[in-house]
Amino acid sequence: MTRTLVVAEMALREMARRRVVLIILLLLPLAFYLSRHGDHLGQSIRFVCLGLGWALSTAALFAGSAARTVEPRLRLSGYADRHLIAGRLAALWALGVLLSAPYFLLVRLDQHDVRYGAIAAIMALTVVVSASFGLALSAVLPRELEGTLVLLAVVGLQMMVDPAHTSARVLPFWFSRELATYAVDHTGTGYLDRGLLHGALTAVLLTVLVAVAARARRGRRTHLTFVPLR
Amino acid sequence: MRTDAWLAALAGELQRHGVGADLTGHVVAEAAAHLADSGDPPLAAFGPPEMYAAAVADSVAGPAPAAPGRTVGPVRLAARGITKRYRRRTVLADVDLTVRAGEVAAVIGQNGSGKSTLLRICAGLARPDRGTVHVAGRLGYCPQDGGMSEFLTPDEHFVLVGAGRGLSRTAARRYGRRDAAALDWAPKPGVQARHLSGGTRQKLNLTLARLGDPDVLLLDEPYQGFDRGSYLDFWHQVFRWRDGGAAIVVVTHLLNQLDRVDTVLDLTRSEAAA
Repeated sequence: MTRTLVVAEMALREMARRRVVLIILLLLPLAFYLSRHGDHLGQSIRFVCLGLGWALSTAALFAGSAARTVEPRLRLSGYADRHLIAGRLAALWALGVLLSAPYFLLVRLDQHDVRYGAIAAIMALTVVVSASFGLALSAVLPRELEGTLVLLAVVGLQMMVDPAHTSARVLPFWFSRELATYAVDHTGTGYLDRGLLHGALTAVLLTVLVAVAARARRGRRTHLTFVPLR
Repeated sequence: MRTDAWLAALAGELQRHGVGADLTGHVVAEAAAHLADSGDPPLAAFGPPEMYAAAVADSVAGPAPAAPGRTVGPVRLAARGITKRYRRRTVLADVDLTVRAGEVAAVIGQNGSGKSTLLRICAGLARPDRGTVHVAGRLGYCPQDGGMSEFLTPDEHFVLVGAGRGLSRTAARRYGRRDAAALDWAPKPGVQARHLSGGTRQKLNLTLARLGDPDVLLLDEPYQGFDRGSYLDFWHQVFRWRDGGAAIVVVTHLLNQLDRVDTVLDLTRSEAAA
């Protein structure tokens, strides 16, 4: 537990020192929100959640890529994959909560006649899914530019693809559309259930992908045997 | 430069050159007496302390040899039949390396001869096509570069790596600062790794590899960017760690320390054979 907490603490310290990046991350969802503010009531809510997802996924992608140089040393020092992954996820969740809180407050003050609990659920799931999504991209794609392009493509598709189409369900943030419909249009619980299930499954699958990719990158080291002395 | 500062610098430089404590005290006392008698400024009388120390060290036949009768311990690192190919090019061909506790092995060879690859294989960071590596005890690895987080300070690095070794925050900082001081470096609080000079980054890199007193230490040209004084400090530390029972492998292309190491593995032949 100590190792996981230390990784989380250091990851948070690293991110907190990228002040310009943090400001951009904080403002990006606001731009999304304001861009659709004059439209239908729910559009700005959907877009701010998508903006949060994009911002946090990018943060996770860069945090994962930056960690690549130090992780071999940390593994040799006694860290297991679970410490490194759980520590980074915890740091990204903390960052996500900090970034999301002002937007939840904004929606609470600016939008009326919506289900605030469902909006909180969208934001919470967005934080969880984004952290795993960004880390998964950084684990699978060796260079940041490649990861950024994939991220751009995914978020672009998320905006353009008809959410009612089956293929839209493979996109990681499809749940936010379902939950937002439930929150804004006061539909039945079918949207809520589908959204929660999709978000939870996506988070689990992406986290498993992070772990599998980390293991694959490390490879099997059958040539090496360690004999502990102490 | 004030006389007392010059004398202190001279004492430090003499120690770096491996001049014994008695002789260092004697030389410093002689120099102090001369300066007091003549009233000359030290730079005018003797020149820069590092140059004067180098001249003194040369005149007393260089660094002290390893202690006579030094015994070595059990095998800590045994690499057998290591073969590695990159596409059609054989980088390492059937390479063996054995290092015991209390030994220093130098791995030498031309650029591209597989020195770093061998160390990465020994550290488990790369896989050979053939061969085995046995490591007894904890392993510390100092890569040629990288291996740190740009936005963390040295103290935070000590805590991060130390936690992996099972050290408390206080202990990790204390050990890290102790090893940094031995390399003539006192990390300033709040300075992130990205703001350190190349040589200081390497000192951090080396200090992190040493954290937790590993039994086997793999050092891949860790002195890059070091000035001459730091380079001498580094080798002094290597032999001190060796005398403390560590098994050390140093990848190097600087040959002036090879007469002091216990084993030399020359990979040039392996490359030529390929």
